[in-house]
Amino acid sequence: MSTELLQQIAETNRWGAIYPELALGILALALLALEAVLPKFAHGLIPRISILGQSILLGYILLFDRSGCCSGEAFGGMLSFDGTGQAFRILFLATSIFVSYLAMVSLEKREFPRIEYCHILLVVSGALMLLAQSNHFVMFFVALETATVGFYVLVSYYRTSYLSLEAGLKYLVMGALSSAILLFGIVLLYGAGSNPALEGSSADPLNFSNLYIFLVANPTDMMAIIGMLLVISGIAFKIGAFPFQIWVPDVYQGAPIPTTALLAVGSKAAGFAMLINMVEVFEPLKAWMYPLLSGIVALTILFGNLAALTQRNLKRVIGMSGVSHAGFLGMGVLASTQVEWATNAVVFYLFAYMLASMAVFAVMAHLPKNDDAELTIDDLSELSKKNGFLGFALAVGVGSLAGIPPLAGFIGKLLIFVAAFQAELYGLLAVGIIGVVISIYYYFGIIKSAFFEAWTFKDEELEEENPGVPGETLQLFGKLAIVVAVTGTIILGFWQGPIGTWIAG
Amino acid sequence: MTIGLDQYIAVSSMLFAIGFFGVLLRKNTLVIYMSLELMLNAANLALIAFSRYHETVGGNLFVFFVISVAAAEVAVGLAIIVALFRKKQTVQVEELNALNN
Repeated sequence: MSTELLQQIAETNRWGAIYPELALGILALALLALEAVLPKFAHGLIPRISILGQSILLGYILLFDRSGCCSGEAFGGMLSFDGTGQAFRILFLATSIFVSYLAMVSLEKREFPRIEYCHILLVVSGALMLLAQSNHFVMFFVALETATVGFYVLVSYYRTSYLSLEAGLKYLVMGALSSAILLFGIVLLYGAGSNPALEGSSADPLNFSNLYIFLVANPTDMMAIIGMLLVISGIAFKIGAFPFQIWVPDVYQGAPIPTTALLAVGSKAAGFAMLINMVEVFEPLKAWMYPLLSGIVALTILFGNLAALTQRNLKRVIGMSGVSHAGFLGMGVLASTQVEWATNAVVFYLFAYMLASMAVFAVMAHLPKNDDAELTIDDLSELSKKNGFLGFALAVGVGSLAGIPPLAGFIGKLLIFVAAFQAELYGLLAVGIIGVVISIYYYFGIIKSAFFEAWTFKDEELEEENPGVPGETLQLFGKLAIVVAVTGTIILGFWQGPIGTWIAG
Repeated sequence: MTIGLDQYIAVSSMLFAIGFFGVLLRKNTLVIYMSLELMLNAANLALIAFSRYHETVGGNLFVFFVISVAAAEVAVGLAIIVALFRKKQTVQVEELNALNN
């Protein structure tokens, strides 16, 4: 390699284009520095500083940089910027702010260190942003692993709680297995695409556009097809699609609430960002890929909804319902191969899902039970009477997840279904509608428990003295976070405004 | 017989399969962990072989990233396994089943 080539590549390093990621990295380091500098009694400020910094960044992006300051490739083809990538950036940043807030509340309750959590969270969010915009398998793999290794730590963060550690181990084994499968798939694609005997091969087949050119020339290359299957399987693990969803309920249950929220929203959104990119790259292999994805999507919707019916643990219900949401999102991704705007519908669905999930998780974080791995639906009983504000937030969040009309979740589902209809995926559409009907049952179970009185057996002797009131820990900051999530859900349901025009393309 | 690309790929695929079934079938967490590393190394071997025989440099570079990622994974993973062992005095998967409804 000559120095001229290196110079050419160095000229494509546009550091200004990745300012959100850089800002998150600097903020993460600043938090650690502040911990060393500030006196002990001021340490409670540090998570607030983290939230403030992220909010300023989010505000800046929303005001001045909505559609992305840059487009095209940068860093020698490692990254590529477009409007979808910018939308994912905003999504990950908003998720990260909500999760920081949840971490502040739940870790305070359990008296675990918060600063390290916020630090790792910022690094993971930055990695997810890069992952959504990667244009090269090396970038893709490294960003994915940065996020995944961070997740291992965050899942097992309650290191004195056995359940959290067990969830961490399960996530570790499953996550590492899926990464290895993904990596082997990438290697096979590399092997196929770099073969000089084949037409369309290139010296750098790990670049998505080079790989696409190769696949167009060789749509029946066996090695590339196996590689594609392995890569799709690895991504299916990350989004928790059937048959790779086995880790979801256990890990969701054992992980701390903020990590569960991050897994449910951030990790899933990252999986779909990857899938949207991959579906484009593997488009020449559609004879193999579309049937595979259709099968996965249909089974994911059915399995997620049916498995959620039998769960009583609150986090397991949310986990299994998340599996079915992954199915609906997958339907949108499949539709995006035929209908241009379906990608935007997927992004809208993710935003609606994020706001609704955050409202639900915020309510969970404010329930009085100390061990959040053992929250069941019964712990919600009479929530609306004990704390009307939390009850309302729960109703809006769960209603939006279920897709009840005036809320954002309904519009999200509607857009996906319309896209699927336009893409003529009638079979999947039928499965999706059956899934929605089933899901109403268990979502209504949650609402019923919170709003309607149910007779419960009370053992007078075993009665705990004063289990605490839900929402005791709620402060102004927390109310603000919940209000943002709830009003966002309602507003996006009634009025899509500029987002609507953006979706229409 | 000369050893060519096909032989390397065969060995690497076998290593990957051994690792994969090791993860699924073995009961000791540490052995499972070794199997995971074996899968990553199988990918490394294939990367190097492709890179050498197809005369492209990308695969060689990728291997360095994979090695450092694997090292980070081991650091975190072993910490979790040690913390779990301190709590429960076992690393057998069938005894780690508290999270089951």
